[in-house]
Amino acid sequence: MDACFYFQLHQPRRVRRYQVFDIGSGAEYFDAAKNADTLRRVAERCYLPATRLLTELARTDGARVAMSISGVLVEQMERATPDTLKSLQALVAGGGAELLSETSHHSLASLRNADEFADQVRLHRHMMKRVFGVVPRVFRNTELIVSDGLTPVVKALGFDAMLVEGADTVLGWRSPNHVYASRSAPSLRLLPRNYRLSDDVAFRFSARDWSEWPLTADKYASWIAANPGDVVNVFMDYETLGEHQHEGSGILDFLRALPGALRRAGVRMVTPSELATRKPVGLLSYPGPMSWADTERDVSAWLGNGLQHAAHERLYSLRDVVLGTGDLELIGTWRALSTSDHFYYMSTKWHADGDVHTYFSPYATPYEAYISYMNVLRDMEQRVAGLKTRLKTEGRRPETKAPARSSRKPKAAKAKAAKAMAAKRKK
Amino acid sequence: MSGAGNLRLRPCPRLRVATIISKMRVLMFGWEYPPYAAGGLATATLALANGLVRRGHAVTMVVPFPAAAGEGGVRVVSASDVSANLRVLRVASPLSPYAASSLPPAPWGRRTRPTAYRDTLFEDVSDFAVAARRIAAEHPHDIIHVHDWMTYAAGHEAREVSGRPLVAHIHATEHDRSGAWTHPGILARERDGLRDADRVIANSHVTKRHIVDEYGVAADNVDVVHWGIEPPDDGDLHLPSPFGAGVPIVAFVGRLAMQKGPDYFIEAAAKVVARHPTVCFVVGGAGDMLPMLFDRCIALGIAHRVYFTGGLTRVETERLYRIASVVVMPSVSEPFGLVALESLRAGTPVIISRTSGVAEAIANLVTVEFWDVNDIADKILAVVNDPVLARELRERTNEEMHDLRLGPDEPARLTVESYELATTGP
Repeated sequence: MDACFYFQLHQPRRVRRYQVFDIGSGAEYFDAAKNADTLRRVAERCYLPATRLLTELARTDGARVAMSISGVLVEQMERATPDTLKSLQALVAGGGAELLSETSHHSLASLRNADEFADQVRLHRHMMKRVFGVVPRVFRNTELIVSDGLTPVVKALGFDAMLVEGADTVLGWRSPNHVYASRSAPSLRLLPRNYRLSDDVAFRFSARDWSEWPLTADKYASWIAANPGDVVNVFMDYETLGEHQHEGSGILDFLRALPGALRRAGVRMVTPSELATRKPVGLLSYPGPMSWADTERDVSAWLGNGLQHAAHERLYSLRDVVLGTGDLELIGTWRALSTSDHFYYMSTKWHADGDVHTYFSPYATPYEAYISYMNVLRDMEQRVAGLKTRLKTEGRRPETKAPARSSRKPKAAKAKAAKAMAAKRKK
Repeated sequence: MSGAGNLRLRPCPRLRVATIISKMRVLMFGWEYPPYAAGGLATATLALANGLVRRGHAVTMVVPFPAAAGEGGVRVVSASDVSANLRVLRVASPLSPYAASSLPPAPWGRRTRPTAYRDTLFEDVSDFAVAARRIAAEHPHDIIHVHDWMTYAAGHEAREVSGRPLVAHIHATEHDRSGAWTHPGILARERDGLRDADRVIANSHVTKRHIVDEYGVAADNVDVVHWGIEPPDDGDLHLPSPFGAGVPIVAFVGRLAMQKGPDYFIEAAAKVVARHPTVCFVVGGAGDMLPMLFDRCIALGIAHRVYFTGGLTRVETERLYRIASVVVMPSVSEPFGLVALESLRAGTPVIISRTSGVAEAIANLVTVEFWDVNDIADKILAVVNDPVLARELRERTNEEMHDLRLGPDEPARLTVESYELATTGP
């Protein structure tokens, strides 16, 4: 039996309380201080200790895991916690972690705009190359969102495999503990999450009323070994290690003991790119968009109510004009607004999963999240309109509409853009 | 294994309780009861009594009747059987918490008014308590239930006579009513009454925290029972908008007293008027802040967009909820806030103080800090300008109002649990 551990690393740039009176004032959209504070706190509790531990375990026990780090998080780490970024670079360089690809801004673009999706995947790929010196071969979409319409797109972007939710409704009688392929893109391997074993750590680890508490590494390794199939995919937020499950719960000790326990139980640690070379046992079909979130496993956590749809539509209605300005800072800001968390905060699913939503939200109510977000978009609309007039009066023409297929964007322009971004960051 | 063999013959305490409470006779002392209504308490007391009756208990409600006061001392002036299990005794007494102040209105700048109470208040409270002794002797009961400090003395006296357990209900503390200008005599009576009771019911966790911290009431002796709401009164609740179609109406409903924050409503209104061409504001309620609010509207240049209705009847209030686009409740201190429930029942979204008790009970709210007039204005503009937000709020709250948690019988059910604890001890 093999086990594949994957961790998601992501922190959004939270929008500050932005009032109607701030529109046109030039006020910042994002709460820079709060975002930096949150990042430092999470880094101290989780990112740094967990990454150092994994680096050590890679050296001593040959432990190997997979990670995906959102572009918005990398940008924030470059500014606020460069040490954390260095520790992650060391982990990757030492072979302890395989990096996966995702959208640069942890967005819901796959549900709304194929061009934007492709752009953000490329941006992330460039960033991984620049920061870590690697080009990921395996893709994981925001919150494991997947559908039959998406898998061919992912394949066309050059990936061998994709992480997906091992939902009962999709698997039916089949086990998640195998490598599958996509029905709509048979050459794309699908790696389904074993949600029971994942949630044992992510949600139940510190639950004292759980009959299996306390969960030891040996017990957990024996469960994995006893599972039928070829590979158990354990996917979760990296923040589980020290933040969601706080340090006092013993989560890091659990992690420290895990590679040894797995070895004793005869379980090998593998990475997604190794699994991508295996022969699939069957085809999986995802007729509607599916994610790893909430009990519904759909996308209703982000696009479940009228507020979320209205905000998301309005954001994307601005895409062409924003890209058309050619203003890199503005485009970056627009993309930071596409991060899925902004829509998650607007969720009005109160019962059961609502508690999880409230725990993560920086706002008192979802309505407050929506009001601030919409005020920000209104300001951005005005800024774009102002920018266009200024360019006109200066006699320069803004780039006309964004290219229909951004893959045809001239490479030189893109390289130039990346260079400019890098130069700016150095400042 | 469950079976006859496992049955043991020993007294079962829970069963005994169940027999005792199968039908309870409740002797209840209130001070605000229809037709006298200064705030939400009258509505809430009536809803609670009706709920208890629906659950098969009998309530004798004793309330002051100011209209008959001063004519031959404190006495029962009317006893009416509303239904088989609800009897209302009206006692001639001037007891009333928000007696219209004869003081001149304070100038703008507020919070200069020293007190809102009558000079003879403590005498009135004692007289009411004397009447309570007599009533307790004449009306057999299993439990005594008193509402707010003015009736605590009456409850104490009634318990002296009958020896039945006393449940003290607190809806608003002296701090809520008077802000920084609390009355030391009332504080003492409120504290002693709560500590003296066999069980305490607070109408929100905010209130519970306050009495535990400030009065040293034992936390595990306090139950929290949020107010419920009954269906609206009968009557034609439809009213065509007096401002014509398409003009959004932002309403304030409540006493014009510092506790309710009507001045913050006016300040926010000025900011909204500056950014919206047609929106109108309606201030529904009476109170001694009216002249200063009026002056302030003139000074801000928004007098043509703000309408003062004076005191409203129940039906008029219901109509106002229905024509309003949004109701704002910027209370400085709000132990519960029935206005929010009433407005949501009428299908109108609310923007309310984050610290109000009702915010604990309802999820689909837009919340603000009462002093943050920019924030209040921002949220008013968002609801008024954004049909998606308004619709979403209406739909979500409508779902929530059908939740049993907020149903009319829930407060009665929880209150009976409290009676049970008062009777048997925790």
